[in-house]
Amino acid sequence: MTSMTLTPTTDELESLVGRQFPGGTYAVEPWRVWLTNDVIGAPQRTDGVAHPMFCYYAAMAGLGISIDEMFTLCYASADDGPMFGECDIQQLRPLEIGATYTVRGEITSAVRKQGTRTGTFDIVAFQLEVIAPDGEVSSIVSNSFIFPRRPQ
Amino acid sequence: MSTVPDPSIGDELPRLVIEAVDAEKMKTMAALLGDSNPIHWDVATVRELGMGDQPVNQGPNNLGYVMNMLGGWAGGAERIQEIRVRFLDNVFAGDCLEAGGTVTAISDDGTVECDVWLARDGTHPVLAGTASLILR
Repeated sequence: MTSMTLTPTTDELESLVGRQFPGGTYAVEPWRVWLTNDVIGAPQRTDGVAHPMFCYYAAMAGLGISIDEMFTLCYASADDGPMFGECDIQQLRPLEIGATYTVRGEITSAVRKQGTRTGTFDIVAFQLEVIAPDGEVSSIVSNSFIFPRRPQ
Repeated sequence: MSTVPDPSIGDELPRLVIEAVDAEKMKTMAALLGDSNPIHWDVATVRELGMGDQPVNQGPNNLGYVMNMLGGWAGGAERIQEIRVRFLDNVFAGDCLEAGGTVTAISDDGTVECDVWLARDGTHPVLAGTASLILR
């Protein structure tokens, strides 16, 4: 038996915007690249260039909090049935195998919606930057989660 | 890498077929990502949740297939500048998937815009979006 988290007020929801994540680092380890390429069926490259999915993996792993902690921050839990919304990945410069990247980011929007069939739900979007050792931003990853809410 | 294409608006991108999504590879990805959600490896949990009889593929894997399709066409996945997608449905172990796309715009600077998609059995959409690639 599961129960939904208490629905936040619109003020509480909107106060999420601008909230920064702790951030962290992510190393593009060669063994991790090999296994990931094997899983998704990508070619094993020898030129040191990581698959663009590593933009996403680096961003999410370097966020500094777990997905469960992210849900808690957004007044929700896995039991509420949160769903992926959109995922946008900008690969400004391919990630390099063996390099360690710094990740920083924040919540960029939090809006309440009302669907005729789905009822009340909130969309919380966040943006993460993956920064190369030389300080340049290699990738920008923007994601959103959809949180179903109980009627108030 | 392979040769760079010279596309026209409306061109269909060469499709990439994944004959059957492999449940064992979901386990590897769960370990790689530290993903504790049992729907990716425990069939009993999937059944309890009423989601069927097969493990659910990780969403990023599905996006990875689309990137592979784009990279195979463009002469390397490093040519992908941006990809924006929505996840429309779950993919299960054993599913046959097809990734494809269409060229929608071409700029003088070599940037090509595409609609992209991933479909189960070539018809049921599970992911859709847009991508921007640099081909020069």
